[in-house]
Amino acid sequence: MQKIVDVQNVEKIYGKAGEKQFKALSDVNFEVKPGEFVGIMGASGSGKTTLLNILSTLDTPTSGRVQIAGQDITKLNNNQMADFRANKIGFIFQDFNLLENLTAYENIALPLALQNVSTKKIKPAVSSIAEKLGLTEILNHYPTELSGGQKQRVAAARALVHEPSIVFGDEPTGALDSKSARALLDTLAKINRDDDVSILLVTHDPFSASYCDRILFIKDGEIGQELKKEDNSRAEFYQEILDSLGTFAE
Amino acid sequence: MLNKLALSGIKHRIRDYSVLFSGLMIASAIFYMFMSLATNQAFLSSNSPASATSFIFAFGIVLLAIITIVYINYANTFLLSMRQKEYGMFMMLGAKSSKISRMIFVETFAIGAISTLIGSAIGIVATKFVGQWLISALDMQVKHFSSFYAPALLWTLLFFVVIFAFSAIRNAVSLRRSKVLTLLNRDSQPVKIKRNGVIKAVQAVLGLALLAAGYYTMYFSGNNPGAIYVGIPVALVTIVGGSYFTINAFVTSVIVMLKKKTSFSQKGLNNFTLSQLSFRINDYTKILSMVSIMFALALGAITVGLGFNNQIDNVVNGQNYYDVQVTDPDQAQTKRIKSLNVSKKATYNFKTDGKAVYYRSSQFKSQPVGYSQMNMQTMAFKMKSSNDPANNSNARYELMNTRLPQYRVLDAKFVSDAQYDAINGKETTTVLVKTNSFKNNLPTIKAISKAENKRYPSLKQAGGDKYAAYTIVNGFFSGLEFMGFFLGIAFLAMLASCLMFKILSGANGDVKRYNMLYKIGTKQKVLRSTINKEIAVLFSVPAILGIIHVLIGLQLFVKILYQPYRNIEIPFAIFLVLYLGYYFLTRYLYKKIVLK
Repeated sequence: MQKIVDVQNVEKIYGKAGEKQFKALSDVNFEVKPGEFVGIMGASGSGKTTLLNILSTLDTPTSGRVQIAGQDITKLNNNQMADFRANKIGFIFQDFNLLENLTAYENIALPLALQNVSTKKIKPAVSSIAEKLGLTEILNHYPTELSGGQKQRVAAARALVHEPSIVFGDEPTGALDSKSARALLDTLAKINRDDDVSILLVTHDPFSASYCDRILFIKDGEIGQELKKEDNSRAEFYQEILDSLGTFAE
Repeated sequence: MLNKLALSGIKHRIRDYSVLFSGLMIASAIFYMFMSLATNQAFLSSNSPASATSFIFAFGIVLLAIITIVYINYANTFLLSMRQKEYGMFMMLGAKSSKISRMIFVETFAIGAISTLIGSAIGIVATKFVGQWLISALDMQVKHFSSFYAPALLWTLLFFVVIFAFSAIRNAVSLRRSKVLTLLNRDSQPVKIKRNGVIKAVQAVLGLALLAAGYYTMYFSGNNPGAIYVGIPVALVTIVGGSYFTINAFVTSVIVMLKKKTSFSQKGLNNFTLSQLSFRINDYTKILSMVSIMFALALGAITVGLGFNNQIDNVVNGQNYYDVQVTDPDQAQTKRIKSLNVSKKATYNFKTDGKAVYYRSSQFKSQPVGYSQMNMQTMAFKMKSSNDPANNSNARYELMNTRLPQYRVLDAKFVSDAQYDAINGKETTTVLVKTNSFKNNLPTIKAISKAENKRYPSLKQAGGDKYAAYTIVNGFFSGLEFMGFFLGIAFLAMLASCLMFKILSGANGDVKRYNMLYKIGTKQKVLRSTINKEIAVLFSVPAILGIIHVLIGLQLFVKILYQPYRNIEIPFAIFLVLYLGYYFLTRYLYKKIVLK
């Protein structure tokens, strides 16, 4: 079976040779299969964000190989990276990162417009994803007129509208109240289940992590433990995560 | 301790502060440059024959003062937006608000005072160089012009000190009134969205109506010079208002229309650019309309200045047909004549018996004499020639001026070769040359005229050649031309740096947007072109409106200037090149701030 994400021996060192160096990632190996919902957990400074930046082509590894959807992203030039992000990746950020001078509709349509998709195809694509995420009523609103939960769902719609190979979430529930967070995670889980969209979530929140099929724990730049949900209920998995965090932190 | 912290805060934001400082210095430099002309009554009265000049300059002062106040207001907002977070933090840590407001007062005032002092010094130097450059480049004669003029300096300092005192008080009060949390989080506070289609429509109509009224007033005042004292203020008010509403409503409507046209808006980043613009236009309306007015004034000043230069050409060419006239040329003069770019040359001989001068008719058959004829209605001069000066008073007049003063009073007679040979008297040879261009051959023409004056001292008083006419006319018009150019350049520097400052001060807020676009996969090239487009529109909206203002505003001069629209492409080209320079500079600085 083809892998969506394949990370091999990735290492990231900050600082020039000869100066004081800092190893943010060392010998990271893992993979994500199509349709998987994977979480990466770790404390602040554990290397989560570095890893996510490398996966999303915003940063390059010092050594090692990263393949996404069969393509080695460490060998791309700047333009190819931009195209790759536009075509293959969807992003959901903690602080939404919506453009406040565009309406919800225009924000969602942006990735398609960037790919020069014809206008005729943009409208049905936006409508369909908006319906799935319950945004139909608010498409003409500007972000400042929306609640945090609504904003994040618009951001999710923007991440999904161009049918990327994988969606990366960087603490997507970090700025939401518990009700909105739960609603967003339910939605992501549903899309993952029904539409087979692969999702990779970076978080330090055990509740968010409990929605994943599999969790990788990262500490001091290394992947340690791996936890699988398998046939557990979400509540049981949540408990399991809490237990692991307790032992992993030691 | 707090003062030390505040100072170190400035060090960390040295780039932003250098933008602020240079902006304020330019403002005070230009204010001084303008005042050095406007308050110098001796200069104004000796260089302009028109009584309206003082009035126009007084108006200019009022206008520049308003513009400067608005400009400093922007600068002040920029300063406050830089500092409030830091001051908010000091307050959170327990600093008293009275202490904080005193600090912002001192900071605002110090920045104002330092930049005004340096700016005025720059103004003095700039006045000197711009003045010298203009005088030598355009061969001007300007009287009573001095780059250092104490009253101007005093006014500039006083004006800026007062404004900065007000700004400092305002900042202090506004900081004292704000809550700590508001100060800390101002960056992340949402922009309000206004949707008011009906008001916009009314504004669009009102804007166009006001512009039409302003344009008509200028047309009317131009053709009825008596109305000019009422006409200029009325035109100014209506056009300022009209520009404001037109930009606010009309331009927004165009953007909305483009946004609705999805085949255009949903291509690449077009929609983003349009949205940026429609948000910007709301925020920028004041400055864009101000810039359009200043653009018009600056361009108008240069156009009118150059119009006076055209006037020089026109009047000078109307005075004499020939560019050079030499009596009995010696070797040196012959050599100089040879170095001219000759288009027509004539050599005539005449003899005199003390009662009249006698020319050979035959010489005019072979080389007709040229003369200029003025049409009193259009003030236009026509170049003609005659092979029978005996029956052409214009040609005889032209010929008269080519003789030495003592022969001018004598009657000219045109006789056959046989009669001429029979006359017993001294023979004089006159060589007349028309070059391909008076202006291009000016240095040699000047040398020949000077040498003639030396050889025949009586010419010094009487003049008569084209160079003498040129000297008189040039002296008359170049004061006006100088004012036009000087003001034009000063206004341009002011408006463009105003616009640049405003655009750059918004750049920090755009960093996040462009970073987000980059993250979701926009190529750097696309980001760059988006920025170029956006800034190009912000620069071209006031430029287009300004050009229309000028084209119609020149109607004010139809009775004063000969053909005010002639050679209009020259000032426009000069102006656009300078303006484009500012555009490229803004674009470059903006990208440096926004893109990593």
